[in-house]
Amino acid sequence: MENDILLRMKSITKTFPGVKALDEVDISVKKGDIHFIVGENGAGKSTLMKVLSGIYPHGSYDGDIIFDGRIKHFHGIKDSVSDGIVIINQELALFPNLTVYENVFVGHEIHNSMSVMKWDDTKKEAKKYLDMVGLNVDLYSLVGLLGVGKQQLIEIAKALSQNVKLLILDEPTAALNEDDSENLLNLLVELKKKGITSIMISHKLKEVEAIADSITVLRDGRTVSAMTKAEINEQTIIKNMVGREIEDIFPKRPEYKGGPVVLETVHLNSFDTSLNRYIVSNSNIKVRKGEVVGIAGLMGAGRTELAHSIFGNPKKYKITGSTILFGKPVKLTSPRIAIENGIAYVSEDRKKDGLILEETISQNITVSALKKISRMGIINFFRQNKFAEKYVKDIDIRTPSILQQVKNLSGGNQQKVQVSKWLFAEPKILILDEPTRGIDVGAKYEIYTIINDLVAKGMSIIIISSELPEILGMCDRIYVIAEGVQTAEFDIKDATAEKIMHSATTALGV
Amino acid sequence: MTENTNVFKRIGWSIYKYILTIISLFRTNIRDYGMFVALIVIFIVFGFMTNWIFMGPFNFTNLLNQTAYVAVLAVGMTLVIVTRQIDLSVGFLGAFLGAYVVVAVETGGQSVVAALLGALVITIVVGIIKGYFIAKIKVPSFVVTLAGMFVFKGFLFIKTGNRTISTTHPFFIKVGTGYLPKFEINGFDVVSLSIGILILVIVLITGMVNRKKHRKLNIPSEKMEIFITKLLIMTAIIGYMTYVFSANKGISYLLLITVAVVVIYHFMTTQTTLGRRIYAVGGNPEAAELSGINVELILIIVFISMGILSMFSGVMYASRLENTSPKHGPFWELYAIAAAFIGGTSASGGIGKVVNAVVGAIVIMSLKNGMALAGIDANIEPIILGGVLLLAVVFDIYTRNVNAVDLVGIHYAKKEYRDEFAASKINFAKAKAELKAALKENRDDLIDFEYKFTNAQGEFNKIKDKIRGSKEEDFVTQS
Repeated sequence: MENDILLRMKSITKTFPGVKALDEVDISVKKGDIHFIVGENGAGKSTLMKVLSGIYPHGSYDGDIIFDGRIKHFHGIKDSVSDGIVIINQELALFPNLTVYENVFVGHEIHNSMSVMKWDDTKKEAKKYLDMVGLNVDLYSLVGLLGVGKQQLIEIAKALSQNVKLLILDEPTAALNEDDSENLLNLLVELKKKGITSIMISHKLKEVEAIADSITVLRDGRTVSAMTKAEINEQTIIKNMVGREIEDIFPKRPEYKGGPVVLETVHLNSFDTSLNRYIVSNSNIKVRKGEVVGIAGLMGAGRTELAHSIFGNPKKYKITGSTILFGKPVKLTSPRIAIENGIAYVSEDRKKDGLILEETISQNITVSALKKISRMGIINFFRQNKFAEKYVKDIDIRTPSILQQVKNLSGGNQQKVQVSKWLFAEPKILILDEPTRGIDVGAKYEIYTIINDLVAKGMSIIIISSELPEILGMCDRIYVIAEGVQTAEFDIKDATAEKIMHSATTALGV
Repeated sequence: MTENTNVFKRIGWSIYKYILTIISLFRTNIRDYGMFVALIVIFIVFGFMTNWIFMGPFNFTNLLNQTAYVAVLAVGMTLVIVTRQIDLSVGFLGAFLGAYVVVAVETGGQSVVAALLGALVITIVVGIIKGYFIAKIKVPSFVVTLAGMFVFKGFLFIKTGNRTISTTHPFFIKVGTGYLPKFEINGFDVVSLSIGILILVIVLITGMVNRKKHRKLNIPSEKMEIFITKLLIMTAIIGYMTYVFSANKGISYLLLITVAVVVIYHFMTTQTTLGRRIYAVGGNPEAAELSGINVELILIIVFISMGILSMFSGVMYASRLENTSPKHGPFWELYAIAAAFIGGTSASGGIGKVVNAVVGAIVIMSLKNGMALAGIDANIEPIILGGVLLLAVVFDIYTRNVNAVDLVGIHYAKKEYRDEFAASKINFAKAKAELKAALKENRDDLIDFEYKFTNAQGEFNKIKDKIRGSKEEDFVTQS
């Protein structure tokens, strides 16, 4: 019986400064199984896999990893790979500047005794493994020019070329369309027949039901339950995963009563010259006064790109089509002009594009409209701090002082600073890109309350989100985007998670 | 009669097709070839200004000898920049090591081999120290090597005792100013000639073998026209070089050393696991770590290699001048960095070829040499060099996202989609005119016109993009 078990992780505990990311987690995976690990964002799934693959080396966590009947001490990814454990992360570990066949063998090149590359063998072998994963691409094309679906398959080909025994996939289908996802799932079943065990992290319960042999549910860094194929049941999984009811997550909001259209895009196309393809094609969206419009779609579907195209095109795409603001066609050629026209955009990656982490709360809040607090280019610090105080109070940013550096705040409070920053510019239309990514449920609730307050005051808000409950719980109307194409529009009354998911995974006639 | 015109037409078409293919090749690879064109332009301009003395055997040999020390540094610097680092210390390090070897031989009475081995040990230790601070302690390479620059400047001053030390040792004389022996027959140097022919034959044979292998593995190889053109251009270059060398003193040892370094590094970067890993680290360090590559070790190796090449450079420079002096060293590293950037190395890492960096070095030295020869004020030279460097990088950024173009394919596609294209063009023009008229009248249903216009524009763009992306293979199945 014990022999069937390929992997056991026994009471794994991993602490980061201030947070217990994993608390006595147990999992066991049978040989030849496809094992799913499910759980909400921040449940500790990725951390667990990093422990397993040696990215967090032995000694930085408590507990034991038993692989193939032996206790293993992995000190780095090299150790786990040499035992046949290969992890494919969400951020793919590929080299955009190298070709397809070079990528398959980076790190374990085919070479002779003098370390000289055997390029012909490399190409032949690469082709073999690419055929194995059913990928038909030009061996010479640069990986950076391929789509995510293909890149993922190249990663799997790379794993196969390393004699993999246990393949770990961290949310592999998050960025894929339906066809690519199905391909991938079929491929896993194929690989299972060849004796390769896999662990998959996924949010998509449909996938779990389709191919899982066993699952482990994690919540807040603990193992909540483990089930075998016979016991798998969507309702139970959700209950275990969430542990709370949807009513507690979203504040009540009144029904939308209608109003004039404030923002409209007409046949908006954006062409990315570096990718050489349309990232937004034929977008026609309407936003009304006091309305919350949701933009749903998978990662990489072109949601953020659509927001950028509206918000002054900072990435310099080639844009055709028009944007109509308050009934007049406008050319928003830079974010500055977009801001002057009353549009604000709260970016998805608050650390990279949104906040200046080293500076204080008051500096961050006022940076979007320095004119309001300065005269002849000289900043009035009294006014700056007065405004900052106001927002800290209004929006309830929890901080000892407005002179606190933003990097010392929690994720939820950082997000509130970012929202305040744009409110300070007094926009009429606010675009929120993944407003609640990586923050806890309580902070989410507060952000949602702020959104409700703002629309009640007449602001229009566009929410871009990958989290369907958020879209369904907060929006009045929903557009769905797949591969840059707008595939559906729903009124909140007609929208269901299934309908949105269906539209998000079906691109129309490209 | 009709047959005749058909033949003419076919010949005309194949010539036209050939030209289109070559232009497509050029446009697709403009990033790589742009610099060669710049070099040719520089040669022609200076040739014209100096009554073709610039390109003559004597000066050309001289130019290559002058370039040698920068070219060797540029090769190492390319790898440093590819891994997203910089090395400012190589100038004074090279000068110091040159001084070390010369002083050891001249006043220390050591044998040349012992002196060179001593210098080698120093470079390796220095490389490990630099690499340790940069890779392990994570001090920015700019700071570490800036510190190194000051340190080695001090060492250079101490070693030379602040004065110029001449050398007459045969080793330095030979390396610095010696040439391969010549066997002249009818005024032609057999050695240079046979080396030239040998290189051509090797290129031809490897090219043929590769094509055959690719066909066997069912991997596409480059078009025949392109292969032949490349071969012809190479023949012309090698022919010219052979002429230059046989008309002058032959092949210098400086050139020989440089070529050896370039060949070894070209081989290393394109054919060995180490080369792949260096480019992987530069392209995506996180992914490299996750692929099991020892990123720290790779960085240390790159800095050791840079150190060894600085030693070569320093000894070559001292040999050519037949002395060592505290005045050697400044600006070498900056010339090397400039050469790498002019050669298309990307400052964001992962991209860069050592051969192109050497061409970059030749560009820099051609400017220096040519302007001196043409009698232009020496103070103007750095201004021009600065401009060229900036232009080269601007050019590189502009051509970064050039997509493959196949003009032959576009030619077919234009025929294929002629009607569609014309229709959407007319439609677009019409919508544009209507919108303009509506704007003038300031009509209420302006948005409808805007709507129509953008729609037509989108359709038109789609067809244009389709034609632009066409390839020859889409239309003609290769026989």
